[in-house]
Amino acid sequence: MLIGDALFSKSRQKVLTLLFGKPDQCFYTNEIVRWAKVGTGSVQRELERLVDAGLLLRTKTGNQNHYQANSTAPIFNELVAIVKKTFGISQPITEALQLLDARLTLVFIYGSVAKGSEIASSDIDIMLVGNDLEYGEVVACLEPVEEMLNRPINPTLYAPKDFNQRLAQGNHFLSRVMNQPRLMIKGVIDDIG
Amino acid sequence: MTLDNLVKIRELKQESPNQQEFDALVKAGSERLEDAKNPSLSYSSRFDLSYNASHSLALAALRAAGYRSDKRYQVFQCLAHTTNLNRATIRMFALCHDKRNLAEYEGHFEEDEALLRQLIKSCVALEKAVRKISF
Repeated sequence: MLIGDALFSKSRQKVLTLLFGKPDQCFYTNEIVRWAKVGTGSVQRELERLVDAGLLLRTKTGNQNHYQANSTAPIFNELVAIVKKTFGISQPITEALQLLDARLTLVFIYGSVAKGSEIASSDIDIMLVGNDLEYGEVVACLEPVEEMLNRPINPTLYAPKDFNQRLAQGNHFLSRVMNQPRLMIKGVIDDIG
Repeated sequence: MTLDNLVKIRELKQESPNQQEFDALVKAGSERLEDAKNPSLSYSSRFDLSYNASHSLALAALRAAGYRSDKRYQVFQCLAHTTNLNRATIRMFALCHDKRNLAEYEGHFEEDEALLRQLIKSCVALEKAVRKISF
């Protein structure tokens, strides 16, 4: 059982992924329906509930309703984090990398998305440590997720021995990454740095 | 977004293709690509060569389609319209463009052999696609 599925219905997950995945952006109903690829009725019901609960803001422009995550809601930050850590980013990436799973030892997101300072168009920086990884296959695996989230995903690859060696040598880039918040997708980092 | 829409938002300019320019771009691209394969050169030279080879070839494809852009990123993005390359191959050029910018402007120099290997591979595919273009 996936965490997201235990907590929310599929259509609510879809709505939350879009609205709380890009909380600085405003979406109109048709846009949400088109993106979610679930029925119009169920999307509208979800939007209604979330507005009633104060989690979404609705503004009317002409005859169009626009929705945006309500950043003053008491659990706004928590919802953004839940979405990111489950169905919003982590799960689709985990699923996309399934094909390479046997070769991957460590996968995590760093940069603005992990820090929580991203904007709607921010790239997702992802580090993959594993044996015999090729950029071509990683990019091909991640490409559908990029399209789904409408965000570029920038992978950086390391073989485990290079990763450890560079860490030990105090490599500038890696030290900087390791001193920042990370969103773990696979593996465990012992208290490095 | 279609190429004509990119013209409207001034990301691209329309300009009739020119055989001489196309040939020169393809030649420059192919020569750089050949040099990039030379293992006795340094990593940074090989990366620059293969990155610039990719740009020349991608620009050749864009010019053949009747457009021009001085925005490198856009020249790579347009490959989806100007060649039959698959999305993952095209995505590699954008990724290398970003990595190049990180090196040039953010001081993030990383020798990434896997990246170079893939860039050369993608560039070889691009050269093949561009050589099939006639206008």
